[in-house]
Amino acid sequence: MSLAWISKLALAAGLVALPATGWAQSVNISYLTHWSPDTVALLETAAKDFSKEHPDVAISVRAVPFGDLLTTLRSQGGSSDGPTIGGIYDLWLPELARDKLVAPAPDAVAAEVKSAWPAGVVSAASVGGTLYGIPNEIDVYALNYNKELFKEAGIAAPPKTWAEFKDAAAKLTNKDKGQQGFGMINSWAAGVVHPFASLLVSNGGNLVKDGKPALDSPQAGETFALYEDLIKSGASNPAMATADANTTGPFLDNFVSGKTGMIIMANWWESALKTGMGDKFANVATAPIPVGPSGDKPHSISYSWMTVVNAKAGEAEQKAAWEFLAWLNSPKSGKSGASAMSDILMSMGILPSRSSDIEAHKDKLSSEFLSGYVSVLADARPFPVVPGGQEFSESLQQTLEALQYGQVSAKDAQANAQADATSILERAAK
Amino acid sequence: MAKAFRASAGILLAPAVTLIGVFVVVPMLLTIWLSFQDWSTQTPFSDASFTGLGNFREIFGPTSVGRDFKTALLNTAIYTALSVVLILPLSVVFGLMVYQREVAGGTALRTVLFSTYMVPMIAVALVWSKLYAPSEGPLNQLLGLIGIGPQPWLSSPRSALVSIVFLNVWQQVGYFTVLAIAGLTQIPGSLYEAATLDGANGREQFRFISLPLLRRTLLFSAVIAIINAVQVFEPVALITQGGPVGSTNVLTYHIRRVGIERAQGGLGSAMAVMLMLSLIVSVSALFAFVNRKDSE
Repeated sequence: MSLAWISKLALAAGLVALPATGWAQSVNISYLTHWSPDTVALLETAAKDFSKEHPDVAISVRAVPFGDLLTTLRSQGGSSDGPTIGGIYDLWLPELARDKLVAPAPDAVAAEVKSAWPAGVVSAASVGGTLYGIPNEIDVYALNYNKELFKEAGIAAPPKTWAEFKDAAAKLTNKDKGQQGFGMINSWAAGVVHPFASLLVSNGGNLVKDGKPALDSPQAGETFALYEDLIKSGASNPAMATADANTTGPFLDNFVSGKTGMIIMANWWESALKTGMGDKFANVATAPIPVGPSGDKPHSISYSWMTVVNAKAGEAEQKAAWEFLAWLNSPKSGKSGASAMSDILMSMGILPSRSSDIEAHKDKLSSEFLSGYVSVLADARPFPVVPGGQEFSESLQQTLEALQYGQVSAKDAQANAQADATSILERAAK
Repeated sequence: MAKAFRASAGILLAPAVTLIGVFVVVPMLLTIWLSFQDWSTQTPFSDASFTGLGNFREIFGPTSVGRDFKTALLNTAIYTALSVVLILPLSVVFGLMVYQREVAGGTALRTVLFSTYMVPMIAVALVWSKLYAPSEGPLNQLLGLIGIGPQPWLSSPRSALVSIVFLNVWQQVGYFTVLAIAGLTQIPGSLYEAATLDGANGREQFRFISLPLLRRTLLFSAVIAIINAVQVFEPVALITQGGPVGSTNVLTYHIRRVGIERAQGGLGSAMAVMLMLSLIVSVSALFAFVNRKDSE
């Protein structure tokens, strides 16, 4: 056969294959997340695995800093060309659902989620009884402390009560070494509000009760006063507490470098601690939130994340997106009966929320660091998911930061927080 | 003849006027209209409902909405004033240094000064956030060498905004130096020669020749510096997120939070209108001040 004939045959074969290739990638969907490049790489690998079984679906992953995630969803989610799938924080769901930016889950997906996830997590992914997302991670707050600093300060065990907590914070403070006893966080709403809320619920209080702000309770007053005491005594230094748009920054650096004795943080920062501390990560231990004078036992705040689908995306894209998410979160996609999503989450130290994933990762969840979080999960209180929740959270952040920097007294902070929350939640409910 | 001229002028101007109308005037009018509406940015314009001055009452009211807006407005004003007050004199000083022919390395200095303006803000923000790091940051380490204790920089509400201003001045001063040099080149050399013959020293030449004749250049620089400063967004979004305690929460960042993140389009538009009005008033006042000086 001459070269000319071979060329003609190759061209003909190419032309025949071309439409098939075009059909093979006929649905393009995109996944918006705030994860780091390493984690995005794991998600991309999972997406490629899915595309092997579904050659007609191509999935691209796009990451933005956490601080830009909601804005990106809001500004691009209203268009069919926006991200098809988005990873969201449960607090954002009521307003995204109200504005019809996220699509309700198909019946089959909803039925699967309702049977395979704990009821509380399903409820956080639902609005008015309609499920909008597939839950993936659950985060809970606990007290992290540096065992080496505890030993140096002569503290034998983590504090169980606020009295012990204040005592330990004082002993761990060493201004000459630039060391603070307890690390607060500022310039990041969840980082400011969640630790405060964890102390509040451990003191028998609530942020919101029956849909109305409950920051005027005596329990809340005691929690504001605790913050004021820690700042005034110098056991907590707000200048060491700053966070940046990627939820890292000085607050993390100071704990990693052994300049913060205790901090209240969520389980997901395990990977950041390991990266920053190396072998010294073994010095970090986890304990329940100390119980306040009005509390009965340790409680903390939990919240969840979920993946949602863009309601404005085309029908084929939405269908492909739900299929991908159902596969990604199913026991078929990961290792040893775990979902691929849970494998990705566990690589960051994040607790998966699907019941079968918790079972599949039982060994890793029993590590010294994570077991402390798993143990407090049962008594954790979900962060209130209400319309206006993000604005409420940012407003409380401002008030708590003003208290951290001594701009307001605990009493005024409590009054301001309650007044602002009332006005925000009332407006959002209209 | 005049009629034909007007017709052809109209035809020639039409494309530019149409483009300006569509892309500048219509969005401005739309923003003004939306500032009187209760509207979510996630809904069509047809869903907007008229609220009169409700949005303006709210942004100047006593609630958290009003408090945050007033803080952001004040932060923007302080940031703008400090930026202009630092950039303009520095640009004249650097311009004079570079313009003096007898100064060795003048071209190199000009290049170095202008190069900061060409660095993308994302790189500037990353570098400066590390320079300002409280414990291991180079700035505090340098201060430590001369016996000054560590400064909180971005970690304190008292110094965070000023720290962002320094970053802005560092990046922008090169551009304004080039403008100052352009102004200096317009001043006839014969004026300096005459002044030298009359016995005027360098300081007197600067005060009575350079500075008065640089007035128009400085006015232009001031207007551009004000507009640039009022539009500050990237360093706040990338480094401080408006904190701590809202001390770096400037209006552009706050409008983005209210208008896009919270989808409160009516409130965000009211804030944008106030920003536009503030800018118009500031620039008009500056022109009026300079024109009065000119007529004097």
